[in-house]
Amino acid sequence: MIRAIRPRFREAAARLDPPYDWRTALAVLVVGFCLILSGQRVELDRFAALTGEAILAQLGLAEESQVGRGLGRMIRSLLPIAVEERRELARLSEIDRENLPWLARIERVETTRYELDRQTLQLVPVVETKEYLVEPFGYLLRVLGKMLETLEIALWATILSVLLSGPLAILAAANYTPHRSVYLAARGLVSFLRAIPELVSALFLVLAFGFGPIAGILALGLHAAGFLGKFYAEDIEAADKKPQEALLALGASKLRVLRSAVLPQVAPSYVAYTLYILDRNVRMATVVGLVGAGGIGQELKGRYDLFEYDHVGTILVVIFVTVFLLDQLSARLRARLL
Amino acid sequence: MTSPVDQATVGERVVLAFHEVRKTFPDGTRALDGVSFAVPRGQFCVLLGPSGSGKSTLLRCVNGLVAPDAGTIEVIGRRSSPRTLPGIRRRVAMVHQHFNLVERAPVGINVLTGAIAQVPAWRALLHWFPEPLRNKAVALVLRVGLEPQHLHRRVGELSGGQQQRVGIARAFLCDPDLLLADEPVASLDPSTAQDILSLLREAARERSATVLCSLHQPELAVRFADRILGLRAGRIIFDGPPEHLDDAALARIYGHGFPTDRLELAA
Repeated sequence: MIRAIRPRFREAAARLDPPYDWRTALAVLVVGFCLILSGQRVELDRFAALTGEAILAQLGLAEESQVGRGLGRMIRSLLPIAVEERRELARLSEIDRENLPWLARIERVETTRYELDRQTLQLVPVVETKEYLVEPFGYLLRVLGKMLETLEIALWATILSVLLSGPLAILAAANYTPHRSVYLAARGLVSFLRAIPELVSALFLVLAFGFGPIAGILALGLHAAGFLGKFYAEDIEAADKKPQEALLALGASKLRVLRSAVLPQVAPSYVAYTLYILDRNVRMATVVGLVGAGGIGQELKGRYDLFEYDHVGTILVVIFVTVFLLDQLSARLRARLL
Repeated sequence: MTSPVDQATVGERVVLAFHEVRKTFPDGTRALDGVSFAVPRGQFCVLLGPSGSGKSTLLRCVNGLVAPDAGTIEVIGRRSSPRTLPGIRRRVAMVHQHFNLVERAPVGINVLTGAIAQVPAWRALLHWFPEPLRNKAVALVLRVGLEPQHLHRRVGELSGGQQQRVGIARAFLCDPDLLLADEPVASLDPSTAQDILSLLREAARERSATVLCSLHQPELAVRFADRILGLRAGRIIFDGPPEHLDDAALARIYGHGFPTDRLELAA
């Protein structure tokens, strides 16, 4: 991946120059100028102004800022997060009043509404009683279930990508490919898979396979296969040649050399790449859910569109906690496997 | 005087025969320039010569790691060709200067990979070696002077001498007819080098295996060889028992600077 920059020994001059000269200064000037131009195009100046205003507002040196207002409103609407599930009993068809779900209770809420009396043409209060089925941890459990689905999508996407990229990497490794044309085709396929963003392929796969986890698994798995195929292949190419030669000299076939001389060498980095892909797939599985590819993302999008920000808050907390726990888990797994 | 090849091809005792073998590398280096010799069964034959004299190329021609441009090579009665090479490689083992072991794999697995070409594919891919082979590997690890606890240690954690012992155990796992040793002690200190060469010689003798070993220390060659082949610039310029390797022969092999050259370097 990273190749050492080799000094060009055209003529050996018997002196050592300082590492920078006027060309370095010129390059720095040109790059700086381009960055300034680009910064204006992406509104970095406005970003600086708004952020500065928000900080001043926090310090009490300025009036309320736009950014602070927006952030505050968002946080207020996310909190308190929704934990219970409250559904109107009249709309639930299959509820046995004698045998409610675990921890669930029925709440009666009396609401008064005013109705126009047609005779007297006066507003008279009408008391209505509505019954709600309240499950204290209902929504949290529902979100956890969705999170589990997301984890499963990520897991299967990772399995799919490893199964695809393993053979692909052998074909795409210059020293183990059966033929130059196979090598080019495999490299091309790997680049192609990597070039399509998950979110975009998920959009199309949802059209093909319908809403749900299949589209998510395929979208994530195919993209990750492109990533893993490239890195697996590069590791095969860079593996120490000496043990490979030793086994070749004993008459071992390419596949046997790969298994016995290459795999033990590349195994640690393969574990690292695959764990990274699993980690990335968990995060991306929530994102592809936004376009209907199953899991917690789909729930998030639905609640967001209904302005139920307290539910959105619950989902966000669950995502944060899951990603954090997974990070710890994968660090331990790495330490054990490497 | 009859040529060594003629002597060799008459009996079945001959394990290796070179006839007018030539090899020129793409960069123009002439590594082998008409090499002919034959090695009878059970001989410990040492190739002696300065760096770049073609020792490695000669050895690597035997098991096909280098394809010669011209000439014929006969190994264990078979004429070397792309078709016969897989069969030849299974009967010919190699010990390497840099050991060429899988450093991350444990000693036991490294020794067992000596049989990687001889077990069925599923066993090779799962590393599920049959029990007799595993027992043999253990016995070999003990034979080459390692301890039982070394079996499960990664090769990368061992010293150079220990690693070469693992390399020798791997080479002998399938009872090769011919053992090629490419500077097996060049990366080792002098006393370890002696131990390793003794081990190589004894282990080969126990199995009546033929050894073709390249060295660049004449004193080691004289001490361990049955026969010495002196190589210079891709030609064999000395062929005889160690007793015949006198100063004049050494001067021919290493050039006239020898041995004063080496003393200057040491000073």
